[in-house]
Amino acid sequence: MRYVARRMGLFVLTLWAALTVNFLIPRLMPGDEATAVLSRMKGVNPAALHALQVEFGINTDQNVLVTYFQYLGNCLTGQFGLTASRVPVMTDILDKLPWTLALVGITTVIAFAIGTMVGVLSAWRRGGRLDSILPPLLFIVSTMPVFFVALVLLYVFAVTLGWLPIASNYELGSTPSLTLGFASDVVSHAILPGLTLVVVTAGSWIYTMRNNMVTTLAEDYVRMARAKGLPGWQIMLDYAARNAILPNLTGFAMQLGYVLGGSILVEYTFSYPGLGYLFYTGTTNHDLPLQSALFLVYTLAILICVLIADFASAILDPRTRDS
Amino acid sequence: MRGSRYLGLLVAASVVAAACGSSTVTPSAPPPTQAPTVAPTTAPVETATPAGTASAVVSPGPSSNGIIGGKLVIDNESGSTWTCQFNPFNPSVSGTAVGFVYEPLEFVNALQTNADGSNKVTPWLATGSTWSPDFKTLTFTIRDGVKWSDGQAFSAADVVYTYNAIKGDPALDLNAIWSADGGPLTNVALQGTNQVVFTFSGPAQTYFYYVADQIPIIPQHIWSKLDQTKLDAEANTAPIGTGAYLMSDCSQNNIKYLRNPNYWQNTAAAPVPQIAEVDYPSFLSNTPANLMLAQGQAQWGAQYIPNIQSFYIDKDPTHRHYWFPATLNVSLFPNLKNSLLSDVAVRKAISLAINRADVSQRGESGYEPPANQTGIVLPTYNAWYDKTIDNTTFDLAMATNTLESAGYKKGSDGIYANSAGKKLSFTIKTISGYTDWDSSLSVITQELKAAGIAVKVQDEDTTVYTPDLQKGNFDLAYGEETGGPLPYYELRQMLLSSNIGQTNYSQYNSPAVDTLFNNYASASAADQVGIIHQIEQVMVTEYPVIPVVEGVDWYQYDTTDFGGWPTPDDPYAQPPVWATPDNMVVLTHLYPLHP
Repeated sequence: MRYVARRMGLFVLTLWAALTVNFLIPRLMPGDEATAVLSRMKGVNPAALHALQVEFGINTDQNVLVTYFQYLGNCLTGQFGLTASRVPVMTDILDKLPWTLALVGITTVIAFAIGTMVGVLSAWRRGGRLDSILPPLLFIVSTMPVFFVALVLLYVFAVTLGWLPIASNYELGSTPSLTLGFASDVVSHAILPGLTLVVVTAGSWIYTMRNNMVTTLAEDYVRMARAKGLPGWQIMLDYAARNAILPNLTGFAMQLGYVLGGSILVEYTFSYPGLGYLFYTGTTNHDLPLQSALFLVYTLAILICVLIADFASAILDPRTRDS
Repeated sequence: MRGSRYLGLLVAASVVAAACGSSTVTPSAPPPTQAPTVAPTTAPVETATPAGTASAVVSPGPSSNGIIGGKLVIDNESGSTWTCQFNPFNPSVSGTAVGFVYEPLEFVNALQTNADGSNKVTPWLATGSTWSPDFKTLTFTIRDGVKWSDGQAFSAADVVYTYNAIKGDPALDLNAIWSADGGPLTNVALQGTNQVVFTFSGPAQTYFYYVADQIPIIPQHIWSKLDQTKLDAEANTAPIGTGAYLMSDCSQNNIKYLRNPNYWQNTAAAPVPQIAEVDYPSFLSNTPANLMLAQGQAQWGAQYIPNIQSFYIDKDPTHRHYWFPATLNVSLFPNLKNSLLSDVAVRKAISLAINRADVSQRGESGYEPPANQTGIVLPTYNAWYDKTIDNTTFDLAMATNTLESAGYKKGSDGIYANSAGKKLSFTIKTISGYTDWDSSLSVITQELKAAGIAVKVQDEDTTVYTPDLQKGNFDLAYGEETGGPLPYYELRQMLLSSNIGQTNYSQYNSPAVDTLFNNYASASAADQVGIIHQIEQVMVTEYPVIPVVEGVDWYQYDTTDFGGWPTPDDPYAQPPVWATPDNMVVLTHLYPLHP
């Protein structure tokens, strides 16, 4: 119980720090959104500019502290105001959220599954053919920048071969519906961005999993299992992998931050209208309310995952509870 | 597509990605453009169409065939997905509302001038307008028989309401027409049943364009029920207008417009509009938008396409065309407060040292034609160009002679310096992400170096660039004005002293030139041409701004299934879809070629 309370306390503290940083950073950037909106129209009337600034909450007369506390209050109630194109921020985010959630969620699970399995197998047959090809290859790929992998895949499969669509989340002009045709359309649009994220993140899973496996395989209880004459697959999965996977579970939560960041680049490259793309346009348009809200969403997602991972490892491994 | 250079570079490196173009490409924010026109029934504003004489039907071209049908797909990179809002006063979304659903009183064509130089004007929701002799009162006669798309009758009261709603919510007054916002308009009132009278504080001929063409009329019976101080934030998800199209369905990826069967120009004999459905997909970047055009899935393009000949035209040369009409200049703005650039000899040398044809070819692939020092965009505004003027555009020897006779000495590094030893070395600020500008500037850099002037290019984000220019925080800047339907608008933005801090980036200040501009608003058409000629003279003797190339509208069209497009021979409207309300004129001209 004390452990839970301590973790929760830490969570709240981290969240507050993140919110404060989130408040400061966009305000330190040069330019403001009203100017950004209007600079695209130029020749603008100062009265319109002032009206926009007030509307966007860029009221220079107001005390920063007052603005700060208003901001904290708004974060708690989910009131983020309007974006630069005057859509409620939450509407905009909720429109885009499912796409990113599905894309990032599914690819992370796939990458985790592939990485873990390949890690298990390659450690089990150390020095074998699989072990000498796949882990090094994927590890090299995983050190490449996300956008580079995305561009290569885009060039090969969409531009040169023309097998897969080049952009967007579904065929332009088609109406979303619950039909098989539309579903396959959505899937075909998600393959390339998804593949990019899988290829880039699977490598690190393989390495940690393989190394954990190697260590675990040297444990006495594994030798004991062999001595008992258990079948190989049972030793591999039930004895070794089950224990070796623990550190990876914690890593799973930490990985999310990297995937979310990567999704900005991937979504930009594939013109995929998810949160990442929204974040990109929000930043380039100096859309303060949108930036703040998105940053909050990202921060919350990561913090919650870390919290869950903390609890999960506490349940799985009693030792962490005492430390 | 603009955004961080980092991402921009990645994309540029990616083979597939397209460079993005100059400001005319800007998606969500239609540059201030004007409307084009159509009909033969038009009269120049000053001479005024007698009230009520204009015929009801303004649109269909001579070749229309009465067929109704077909689906037209628009191709214009919007940079974000649709928000499905249609507030015609919200600059982020107005491009999908004005021209389709909402219409203005009259249409001013920036690409067509009458013999006297004035714009061709086509009455639209008004049947005509008359100026008082002192140009302080403008009276519109409002068209009868127009219906809002919800079936209610449109009337002069809606017009009066629209302008007063703008007065009540300054954020709607994007062109600053009302006196409270810095414009000359003081009152808008109903006269009789079908006339609306605009009263101005001074001669206001030049405001005709903003008042008649740039303001979409909204239905009073809907908008008056909203909070009148927050109209700019109204979402307007189900727009009701007088336009040729009805917004039928909107998702993040596509807006579907259907033909308005009760459109006021529609008759049984000559249906208007003729295209049954118009789709407007949202494109986050140039690449997919360009591909869709190349694959023939879209017919009306407003895209910057690198290698347009091989990428687009060659795939079907009989039906695919492009036309890039110019209405603006892309210029070098010298900061006249800079101790070196304040010397006219230096500015003259810069202008003479730039080979504009070369910049156009190598920097802009020849898509943007070379500009000239008078500041008059040719051939669009031929009527305003003073052919007697000495307008030498490129002469390297004369450039160096100019510097030497002004006392500049070439140093061992090949760069000129003044008598105090200060080198002619400048920074040029430009907008990051405008890759065509970057390549133009690298050509300019080489050319100026050959003339003994060193320049260094500095890319800035628009939100930094614009304030820097307005505050005079630069040596030289590469950029453009928003302009208007005639050279007057652009030149005034560049040179009027009261625009210092806004659009007069050079900070040019000449009472004589101010007087010229101020006289323009009350001058006759012939006198207006004379005034512009005098300003051209200022441009070629004082070099307050150095035009380099002409900014164009990107426009592609496919004649496989549709006819009636604007062409160089029939420039009845500015052709890109983001040019509002020109798009309404194009939409009412287009027709399907097959049933």
